[in-house]
Amino acid sequence: MKLNRIYALVLRFFFLFRHSYDRIGDAFYWPTIDLIIWGLTSSYFMTFAPNAPQIMLVILSGLMFWQIVWRAQYEITVNLLEDLWNKNLINIFVSPIKFSEWVVSFIIIGITKAALSFPFTMVVAYLLYKINIVFFGWYFIPIIFLLFMTGWWIGFFVAGLILRFGTQVQTLAWTFAWAIGPFCAMYYPVSILPLWAQKIAVFTPASYVFENAREIINNGYPDPNKFYISFMLNLIYLILSISFFYFSLKKVMKKGLIKVY
Amino acid sequence: MNVLKVTNLTKKFSSFTAVNNVSFDLKEGEILGLLGPNGAGKTTTIQMIIGVLTPTKGEVNYFGKNLKNNREEILEKINFSSTYTQLPWLLTVEENLKFISYLYEIKNRNERIKKLAKIFKLEKLLKEQTKDLSSGEITRVNLAKAFINYPKVLLLDEPTASLDPETAEYIRKFLLEERDQFNVSIVWTSHNMAEVEEVCDRVILINNGKIIADNTPDKLAKTIEICHVELNIPDGLKRTIEICQSKKVVYKLEGRYIIIDLKEKEIPVFLRELMDKGVFYDQISIDKPTLNDYFLQAI
Repeated sequence: MKLNRIYALVLRFFFLFRHSYDRIGDAFYWPTIDLIIWGLTSSYFMTFAPNAPQIMLVILSGLMFWQIVWRAQYEITVNLLEDLWNKNLINIFVSPIKFSEWVVSFIIIGITKAALSFPFTMVVAYLLYKINIVFFGWYFIPIIFLLFMTGWWIGFFVAGLILRFGTQVQTLAWTFAWAIGPFCAMYYPVSILPLWAQKIAVFTPASYVFENAREIINNGYPDPNKFYISFMLNLIYLILSISFFYFSLKKVMKKGLIKVY
Repeated sequence: MNVLKVTNLTKKFSSFTAVNNVSFDLKEGEILGLLGPNGAGKTTTIQMIIGVLTPTKGEVNYFGKNLKNNREEILEKINFSSTYTQLPWLLTVEENLKFISYLYEIKNRNERIKKLAKIFKLEKLLKEQTKDLSSGEITRVNLAKAFINYPKVLLLDEPTASLDPETAEYIRKFLLEERDQFNVSIVWTSHNMAEVEEVCDRVILINNGKIIADNTPDKLAKTIEICHVELNIPDGLKRTIEICQSKKVVYKLEGRYIIIDLKEKEIPVFLRELMDKGVFYDQISIDKPTLNDYFLQAI
């Protein structure tokens, strides 16, 4: 792997970020709007349940952690779409770039953007509602890492679909993660899901992370097994999704990169 | 020495064969024109040569090495420019050239960008967003991008399309100088026959996915024997037509002008006959066969 080539794609992202109000907006505007709406909603809920002071922390931490999944998958799919919209994919692939470098650049871009928007939402949550998720302490690390992994496999799976079917399925870049959202149980325990949905949640790695986040809020410590299961499931899905993305690229090379749009 | 060798290249899309057993080579410092009508298989061939389309059959070798197995090493030394690809629209020209420069292992990137900006007259456009450029300016940015890694082999898909005649001439001169100074080899596709005749050392004509000719532009043009003789005849046009009809030569009337298709060696005899019959012409022009004539006849 050559760092200069990974840097090239990350640099392209920064240049784009600087010029695109859309990209700046989705890093700061939407998380703030979500926090305001859900913060006010949870304040209202708290008037019905004064004995459950954690309700706001559960909802807002779920919302902020979901930003990690969202950001990681969004940066993979939308950056791929940017190259399709700009017909730039061919310029990248006539260079010596390798598939692995392409994949790593997507991951770095996702982490970078999360590093910009996540601390911002933390500050906003603290300023508006005195919610401090630094409260999670060291458990923060596995939570963030596992949610990034979830975002990556969703992103590479959707990117594989976009490569195969072109921009006609581009809406998946914005909608696919939300389709999995209910089974991730961001704001509520898995146990309140209908039985059939609980069976799906068992295979959804993020559900274990959100369950653990609530355990930390309620009991002060997580269940390490849940982190382990989440990690293994994420790892399997990540390997499968990157393989799918790779084979989609191979498949599209048979059709011609210039025809992908 | 061959820098590029294409062997039995074939591309099938389901039952349609876009490129059929195409083989050719490109020598160091050679400019090779790839000609053909729309849909002939030129772009498909170019895409396979630059490695963005997997061939159904056949091999592409650069510098004696197989592209499939040595992709990274080979793509470091070649580049591509096409009017059909774009660079990210929101980025400025400088940002586009900068991020592309990092895809290659080159030294003094900023110096290189400055030099290319000067060569392709982009200095005043460096801070402009690509979306605000005219099509001719975008073509110049694409060419600058193609030269960023000091390529040994360049694949240029209609490099002067959308350029005004003066800039197109400037670019052609620059490409010829690059070839002379650095022995750059170029594969050049174009629909501008005069340009191909001026620039290319050799021409490959593709039709229906197959190579139907491979020779120098001069030799291809010389396979056409017919010249167009254009005469302005104030007196004796009717007699001229009778002579054409008796000799069964093809002619076309345009007002007082007549355009007659004749073999080169038959022209003096024909003109003498006109004089003998008292035909008076006050203007004459003789168009020798060109690559365009060859192209029109071959396709």
